[in-house]
Amino acid sequence: MTVIAAPATPTRWWHSRAVSRFTRHHLALVGIAMISLLVLACVLGPYTLPYDTLQIDLRARFAPPLSGQHYLGTDPLGRDLAARLLMAGRISLLVGFSAMLLSTLIGTLVGVTAGYRGGWVGVALMRTVDGFLSYPSIFLVLALAATLRPSPVMITVIIAVTSWMETARIVEAEVRSLREREFVQAARMVGLSGKHIMFREILPNAMGPIIVAASLAVARAILLEAYISFLGYGIQPPLPSWGNMLNGAQQYLASAPWLAIIPGAAITIAVTSFNFIGDGLRDALDVRDDHI
Amino acid sequence: MIKRSADTSNYSRRDALRMVAFGGAAAFITPNLLGEPAFARSSAAKPSGRVIVGLGQEPTVFNPLMAHIEVDDGVHFSVFDALFRIDPQGAIQPNLAVEVPDQKNGGISQDGLQWRIRLRDDVRWHDGRPFGAEDVKFTLELITNPDFRAWRTAGHALVRDITVISPTEISWRMEEAFAPYLSFLTETFIVPKHILGAEANPNNAAFNQAPVGTGPFKWGQRVAGDHLELVANPDYFGEGPHIERLVFKYIPDLTVLYTQFKSGDIDLVGQPYITPDHYGEAKTLPNRVVTLVPRTSFESFYLNLERPQFKELAVREALYAAIDKEAIIQGLYYGVPAPTETFMPRQSFFFNANLPLHQFDLNRARKILDQAGWAPGGDGIRTKNGVRLSFTNSTTSGDPLREQVQQYLQQTFAQLGVEMKISNLPAAVMWGEFWGQSKFDSVIVGSTYLIGADPDVTNRLHSRSIAAKGGRGSNNAQYANPEVDALLDKGARTFDPEARRAIYARVQELVRRDLPFLPLYQSNAVEGLKKGINGFVPNGNTRTESWNALAWYWAS
Amino acid sequence: MVTRMSGFLLNRLSQSIVLLVIVSIIGFTVLNLMPGGPLAQFGLDPGMTQKDVERLAAQLGLNRPLWIQYLDWAWRLLQGDWGHSFRDGSSVLAVIGRHLLATLLLMGTSTAFAIALGAWVGIRGATHRYSLFDYCATVGAMVALSVPTFWFGLIGIYIFTLKLGWVPAGNMYTIGDGSVLDYLHHLILPSLVLSLVHVAIWSRYMRTATLDALSQDFVKTARAKGVSERRILLKHVVGNALLPMITLAGMQLPSILTGALVTETVFTWPGMGRLFLDSLGYSDYPVVMGLLIFSAILVVLGNLIADIIIATVDPRIRLG
Repeated sequence: MTVIAAPATPTRWWHSRAVSRFTRHHLALVGIAMISLLVLACVLGPYTLPYDTLQIDLRARFAPPLSGQHYLGTDPLGRDLAARLLMAGRISLLVGFSAMLLSTLIGTLVGVTAGYRGGWVGVALMRTVDGFLSYPSIFLVLALAATLRPSPVMITVIIAVTSWMETARIVEAEVRSLREREFVQAARMVGLSGKHIMFREILPNAMGPIIVAASLAVARAILLEAYISFLGYGIQPPLPSWGNMLNGAQQYLASAPWLAIIPGAAITIAVTSFNFIGDGLRDALDVRDDHI
Repeated sequence: MIKRSADTSNYSRRDALRMVAFGGAAAFITPNLLGEPAFARSSAAKPSGRVIVGLGQEPTVFNPLMAHIEVDDGVHFSVFDALFRIDPQGAIQPNLAVEVPDQKNGGISQDGLQWRIRLRDDVRWHDGRPFGAEDVKFTLELITNPDFRAWRTAGHALVRDITVISPTEISWRMEEAFAPYLSFLTETFIVPKHILGAEANPNNAAFNQAPVGTGPFKWGQRVAGDHLELVANPDYFGEGPHIERLVFKYIPDLTVLYTQFKSGDIDLVGQPYITPDHYGEAKTLPNRVVTLVPRTSFESFYLNLERPQFKELAVREALYAAIDKEAIIQGLYYGVPAPTETFMPRQSFFFNANLPLHQFDLNRARKILDQAGWAPGGDGIRTKNGVRLSFTNSTTSGDPLREQVQQYLQQTFAQLGVEMKISNLPAAVMWGEFWGQSKFDSVIVGSTYLIGADPDVTNRLHSRSIAAKGGRGSNNAQYANPEVDALLDKGARTFDPEARRAIYARVQELVRRDLPFLPLYQSNAVEGLKKGINGFVPNGNTRTESWNALAWYWAS
Repeated sequence: MVTRMSGFLLNRLSQSIVLLVIVSIIGFTVLNLMPGGPLAQFGLDPGMTQKDVERLAAQLGLNRPLWIQYLDWAWRLLQGDWGHSFRDGSSVLAVIGRHLLATLLLMGTSTAFAIALGAWVGIRGATHRYSLFDYCATVGAMVALSVPTFWFGLIGIYIFTLKLGWVPAGNMYTIGDGSVLDYLHHLILPSLVLSLVHVAIWSRYMRTATLDALSQDFVKTARAKGVSERRILLKHVVGNALLPMITLAGMQLPSILTGALVTETVFTWPGMGRLFLDSLGYSDYPVVMGLLIFSAILVVLGNLIADIIIATVDPRIRLG
């Protein structure tokens, strides 16, 4: 996974040790296996199934799983649930990943700047972080989603904008402690620019916690997308997402329970995988528990 | 002449016509026409028992004159009285008034400008004070008070020179003849002057949280976000109430609403009723009575006629022909609603039954577009003079059945070379200026055109009512047809029901031809109640199932 | 110590006020940028004209420039007036108060359950480290953190209501009953669903805290003195491990609002979460803003309390 390949840093000596520790972490491996399978299925699956995600067939409504060609049954419009599930997976996973990338980027930038510069810039930035944190994120996400037109891109941005603060805090703390270390002092003596020191010298050494936070951020983003889509403020039909597939499912809980069970199981599997991976990374990269 | 009975099916349309025509004639003057259940129980019996009505939205506005929504009506009808009420057949009946004024009994002058209403003398407010003409005057004046956050002001704004002749008689002058006003008054509940009149700011009066009315039920208590409870008013002037407590329970999830009806936690399903997908199962429930009740609202595919795609009638006709109503009604809505060609409810006296019937025919739709010069472009979407036949369709998000209809239509339209994109919005966004100022391409909407049973639809179809062009009404399709305008103006001034019938039949014909909206179906409420509740009468002319809770009683 | 503490409090307080101002400005802007508004609910009324809607907007002051509306709102808030709900006209604090109890009941029950179970699982996991139990608890906690609450709720309703018929599908009580037993009957499923995540969190923290405590010198001393393991565990370890738990509880104060939002939706529980969704759905700005500020205050208080407890319990920690 990219997560492991990422630290192309001067400190290669811990690189291999981390990898070997990670590979000894059974849960993390299970997570990697599950998520790889899921991604593979979502990418390739729709091509192998005989049904289109949008193909409506009113005669085949509410077919239960394993009926004929519909392996997972059909939805209220007679669309193949398996095809929709995999297509929804693409969207949910993509939203999750992109939101993670964006929030990690924002969080890292803010964290590094605040931690390195310190002073009033640091205070202002960290108070802003506090400000964002004092909104319960689901409130802010819902208010934003109700305000803006909920396209997948917009949902990604909304999730990122409301979840970068954790990363910022972690990075800031890390950078603040690294700032006074010898190699940074040395770099300063040599006269390297602030930007260079921040991103070339300090950042690579703070990569561990960032990576761990990022892996957990994917899990969070997928869950958050599911929550807001379930409440009807997220990804809009006919585009399927795991969350919005569940949105109408409560209505059919008695008559067609698979409509609720299957997408929820997919979410759980994906999120669990990322949490497992995150746990493995935390052990492998020796990141202390109390940060995250 | 009329044998009073709660069984509505006994009425023929002729009866209804007579009632409209002579509404309020002496023969009707009975104190309790609406208050009496079928095979009336002895009125001496003390009110007993409790009925729990389940609602999908929460009633929150209890001052009936303030801006409110449908779901609040159930409370208003139970706590308050209006001058008149409208019965299930669409006839207007006296309530606080002793008779319905018209041009024959002299209550309304021949030119329609002078109104004179006689009131009951045996009515008391819940606090014991007597009701009188001063309260009516106060009510009508409060509505047009510029500082008061009033609900509808149309009609009321025409009232001038309100004069209290005696405690039981009041008169006023209308700025112009306006026949629908009688129907407006059936939804104008009278509030007590001695309480609200003493308030410096009626918008924030304590009364608004604990209303005092003259109605069959008194205010009990409210647990916000959950339920509210009304208790019987034993001193009600009419017959009834027969139940001791009336509870409105708020259950936001429609599946839970149904589940609770099934389990017996609620006795009666109110708005928005049982969802169509539960209709089949609901019918088989033991000890429950489940019926289809025609409502006044109709579902339609609204088009914004100012969009270049929809300016041409051919496009609208082609889209209409491409809608498989049968599949939608039978397949998606389980046969619950009834197909319609017009905005007028079929149970209405003014319904035009001779409109051309819609037929689903994709080939005809294709032909119409071909002939009109809409040729498929490179991407398969039809184009004419640089206009792509592509548009967005919106509806309130979170309505699964409507979303299914959208996705189904999207697929059929695609086969026609028409691109329909779906962009749904939360209700609070959807029905704001997006709808009011006609900023949509197309919308699927369930709307009611009528107030009470009056056929006047000036607000929706008159070219003067296009808000997007500075008009004052809700003609959101931006429909403009001079002949319709003239007919609507004439209809509003005409009091004679037969004459009006001809006018509005023609309006429906023209609208069906011009298709400012594609009519889909008229809604039927899947009404469910427990066996044992007697006296329940649905009334499509009101917005609530609880319009006559005073007549309900439990079979012992 | 006293002056340091009051200085610290003053500093935190001023920072908190700045924070609340920022929070309120962002919230107000976001809400008001939303097209539509509280009057949209009248858009389909057959008798209300566009003119009626414009009149109402003017009467409610919604047609003023945004910044004036904000200043007006903020000025009133400073005077203790949180405004009135557009929906039912009652004061925002009263509206919040009416829903607070339901949420407290749900959260209280589920938190109590979560603490009890979480503490047991955590301590047992720590004392039986790397056992099968510990392993299952670890994996279980991680899965529990990954399950969408609403989905878990739906599955719960499917099994226990629709299939087994043991518990009601929603609501807080049966109208007209309202006995304690009836409340409990309605509480079981939602509070269990809600506690799932919290059991996971609490058990993880408890495990770490217990492990920390077990490695302390006083435990070794006690062991050397021959005190029984059970006594050590109950008296020394649990007591010490519970301290950080108090902090955690303080930090979790704000989740009173958010924690239950989705659960309340699924189980139609008349609490704060559903109030927020309902109010958002109607664009009832005063109530939505009230809830945002209310929850922000809880966050600030929660953090403050946690800081003070840490500082009081462990003077080594630098305040600031």
